[in-house]
Amino acid sequence: MRIMQDIKTQIKEGITLHTINSNKFKTNLFAMFLTTDLNEENVTKNALISLLLRRGTATIPTQDELSKKLEEMYGGSFDCGLDKIGNNQVFKFYIETINDEFIPQSDEQMWKEAMKLMLEIVLNPYNENNAFSQEYFDQEKNTLKQLIEGRKDNKAQYALNRCIEEMYKGEPFGLFKYGNVEDIQKIDNKELYEHYKNLIQNCKIDIFVSGSIPQRNDIEELIKNDGNIQKLQEREAKYSPVIIEEKKNTQNDEKIVEESMEVTQGKLVLGLDINIDDEEEKYNAVVYNAILGGSANSKMFQNVREKAHLAYVASSSYMRHKDTIFINSGIEISNYEKALKIIKEQIKDMENGEFTDTDLKEAKKVITEGIKTIYDEQDSQIVYYFGQEVSKAQDVNIEEYMKKIENVTKEDVVKLAKAVKIDTIYFLKN
Amino acid sequence: MQVIENLKVKEKVYIEKLENGLTVMIIPKKDIQKKYVIWGTKYGSNESTFVVPGETEPIEVPKGVAHFLEHKMFEQENGTNSLDVLTSLGVNANAYTTNDHTAYLFEGIDNFYEALDELMDYVQHPYFTDENVEKEKGIIGQEIMMYDDYPEWRVYLNTLEAMYHEHPVKLDITGTIETISHIDKDVLYKCYNTFYNPSNMVMVVCGDFVPEDLLKEIKKRLVDKKANGEIKRIYPEEPETIVKERIEQKMQVSIPLYTIGIKVKPLQEDEKVKNHLAISILLDLIFGKSSELYRKLYDAGIIYGTPSQDFEFAKEYAHIILTGQANDPEKVYEEFKKTVANYKENGIKQEDFERIKKSLYGNYVKEYDDVADTARMFLADSFKGINSFDYLEEIDTINLEYIEQILKDVFKEDKMVISIVRN
Repeated sequence: MRIMQDIKTQIKEGITLHTINSNKFKTNLFAMFLTTDLNEENVTKNALISLLLRRGTATIPTQDELSKKLEEMYGGSFDCGLDKIGNNQVFKFYIETINDEFIPQSDEQMWKEAMKLMLEIVLNPYNENNAFSQEYFDQEKNTLKQLIEGRKDNKAQYALNRCIEEMYKGEPFGLFKYGNVEDIQKIDNKELYEHYKNLIQNCKIDIFVSGSIPQRNDIEELIKNDGNIQKLQEREAKYSPVIIEEKKNTQNDEKIVEESMEVTQGKLVLGLDINIDDEEEKYNAVVYNAILGGSANSKMFQNVREKAHLAYVASSSYMRHKDTIFINSGIEISNYEKALKIIKEQIKDMENGEFTDTDLKEAKKVITEGIKTIYDEQDSQIVYYFGQEVSKAQDVNIEEYMKKIENVTKEDVVKLAKAVKIDTIYFLKN
Repeated sequence: MQVIENLKVKEKVYIEKLENGLTVMIIPKKDIQKKYVIWGTKYGSNESTFVVPGETEPIEVPKGVAHFLEHKMFEQENGTNSLDVLTSLGVNANAYTTNDHTAYLFEGIDNFYEALDELMDYVQHPYFTDENVEKEKGIIGQEIMMYDDYPEWRVYLNTLEAMYHEHPVKLDITGTIETISHIDKDVLYKCYNTFYNPSNMVMVVCGDFVPEDLLKEIKKRLVDKKANGEIKRIYPEEPETIVKERIEQKMQVSIPLYTIGIKVKPLQEDEKVKNHLAISILLDLIFGKSSELYRKLYDAGIIYGTPSQDFEFAKEYAHIILTGQANDPEKVYEEFKKTVANYKENGIKQEDFERIKKSLYGNYVKEYDDVADTARMFLADSFKGINSFDYLEEIDTINLEYIEQILKDVFKEDKMVISIVRN
């Protein structure tokens, strides 16, 4: 097995370059993540910035010129988005280009162009008199409004987001990653530009390069000499490292939220809190989740779908950064009570240790097989290493991760099950 | 085995047609740990009227049988479910049904041959009972209802309804709750025996393999079955005209969804790949990220992104699909038509054409990065009678003149429809 490695280089304090070298891919993937505190005051502003940065740079001022440039790079693709990781808001930028090896006239060095372009997009946006272009600003405010209102379109996703919102009311993680419509109108263009400049001078910056890259030194050299990077100061990055939080809700009441919308199928989401205090227990939670609802062999799939025929989707997922599990299912609206009862039974069964050694073994296999695919996926590599980067448990490599999963015992899972509590039950019906 | 090499992406495909009629394609991938196998039958939702080999009279089965079969194949006589077995082997197993084929697959790193045992066993051994067929109606019913809540799916299906008078491509792949209520085990066996014959099937494997060794392993796992004769598939006569230009449905959405459809004459056998490439280039030129039309509509606040584009075709039909969200879908449609007319009249700039061609080339190269993408592409293309490498080769042969010709032949105003979903 080829060992995959994330080699880290500090460009400046708070700015890290990660290179993951491999020559088995057709493409090179470049990524840049800006990590900053998630809070109500800035969430909407940051969302707007993320949209504005796509519009153009000081040297490539329009979106169609930017698109043309990428097309010339043999269909280079640029992508950007926002993510919530723990109590952080993360700006994500990606450029993917084919390897120089597959370019017909191969005197081009596309990795250089791609890297420079990414730095230019993130760090040198098109601006007029110390503000974003007023035209772009007005248009993107409108786009952001649509994005926020559009979250009702995918009903299953909406139900999950609403459950998160209810469960984390009043906390950063309860905020929607694009913010809220009311705050958009309050944003002033000049102030926003000021906020942006502040952001890039103070946030945590991680740059990733994955693929068959020439020499790490060459990349490092290029970045260090890039004018946009030179403008940046050393910083003690302002963000929230992911730590295990104390769960505040210790009473036994479940919060039940029902909402009506035009749906044919009801969407039932349960938010479960896990009360742990040790980083190592997270591996127990990963295994717990796999048995409960992480695969086709799981309790959810087998009992809600295969035995009771109540749903097509019946699964659970573990949010590592918040120690929360969400159970998802799409059911006939009249079957609400029935489905909820079966789901609760599954949770109870876990607590009573009602699962076999085979269940445990198979769950671990599902997890480790999933982990191994990271070797073959450039984006997953980056996401994995970034997850390590922002969490307290830094630098658990993939082999160690798998070993930790292997070591989880039935007792560990039962102990964890006892620390699981239903916090919120959310039901979307008509 | 026949070996075809492509020097552009530096990949090879090994092809063998076995005595029982099964086609096996192997694409070796060095250093990649993931292995992907997909086994498909040329049988999708479009086939509901056909003549069983050896018989003379056509039969008609309820809509949704191909998809129903896909669900039921996993159930085994010994009470196990193959999806569970594969999952416990640590591989990621799945199946899907399209308009023209059904496929069973898994992706995994370890236990490949154990998993191949199970895959080849369950696909070759159906087990249907009255009871297990009835049970599945509940699950599929929920799947149908789930799709009913997806505006993206509704706006797409409505487009097909506006384009097609008769052809079953316009129907939902799953069938409806009504049509699946008529499915019983006899129908399932009938369709299974007709379409799951090796001569109607293709297996594609992608991963780090020695092709000859893998082929032996596959052969070992085949049950003794002879190739059957040709299955006569009967499709209703489809006029070239569209049904209606506009179709609209009300659903709760934040902004309207639209799909522009263009009905295209069935493609000539030897022009399929070139047509497909030319249409992709044209769609990018007309409504891609760097297009004038996109910029104009974005600046006017009518759209917030480029529409996703698709060109779908089989032997007896072809159509273009453009889907997106817009505040004013009618305006998008009107401007789209104007842009097409404008290009027809004034021609396309050489530099724009060359740039888009480069970009398309890169996108085809990217398809070879992932074992799953590669295998699925080879399978789907093979059922259309295409070797996927042809796209990389033929892209060089396309010139501006050809593009302009296709623009005139394909982008006809009387073949366009617009489907809208809004509040």
